[in-house]
Amino acid sequence: MTSQQRRLKGNIIASRIITLILILALTGCASIQLISEYDKEIDITVTAFQKKMTRFLISLERNIGKEKSEYSNNTEFYDEIRVDLSAIKVRAAAIPKNEITIKQINLLIENVSNLERLHKLGITPVDIPPLRTAFNTSCTAILKLELAKKRGKH
Amino acid sequence: MASIDLSKLVSDMQNAAKDVFGKRWPEAKDYAETAFNQIGEAILFIEKQRLLGKMSDEKAKLHLDIQKNASKMIMLTLEGLGIVAVEAAINAALKIIKDTVNTALGFTLI
Repeated sequence: MTSQQRRLKGNIIASRIITLILILALTGCASIQLISEYDKEIDITVTAFQKKMTRFLISLERNIGKEKSEYSNNTEFYDEIRVDLSAIKVRAAAIPKNEITIKQINLLIENVSNLERLHKLGITPVDIPPLRTAFNTSCTAILKLELAKKRGKH
Repeated sequence: MASIDLSKLVSDMQNAAKDVFGKRWPEAKDYAETAFNQIGEAILFIEKQRLLGKMSDEKAKLHLDIQKNASKMIMLTLEGLGIVAVEAAINAALKIIKDTVNTALGFTLI
């Protein structure tokens, strides 16, 4: 190998190392973050929402046909649950790279409005099973993603 | 008789999810299958109640909107899980680069 070839090889290796260092520097020194960190408050609030919703649906189911289950006697529940979800939406929006969770919370809020409309039309026993499925599945979806954001950390 | 084919409905939802998740589909398959089956059965139940006259069209529409939103939430979770997986893969590759550079230089530069 001539000295010119050795110099060329040395230059190639040096440029590769510089490229690698630049890549690492540009990507925040050896790690990147594409989605938000786990947020305990979202975990706690969504879990609490699921419990409240389950309790509400059980109570509705038990009291169908009675005054207690009528929409006018349950407006407080809707107000309360909207305040909970609004608070968690504000918190989620303040966390960087959290767009997916924000979209999910918006869909959950939309579904509370749909439930309220159904309630105004009059809830019957056949309404309860699909509602329970939808709200449980929705909460599981949000929590599954939130827990995945722990990235194996406990 | 219900007009919805449950297995086709669930299979269509899964195929859409597979596209979102790409090569990492096996990692999300179990969760997605369970969730889509639950939603599929709820939709079938709504359709049956509507056909039996136990649920008005107006209520059935609201119910279906609720299930549709729940399905969107599952898809969003799959999208998020995919991002977490891609992030882990990139960071694992970056760690290899970092270790290689530091080893080659003989000291911790990065």
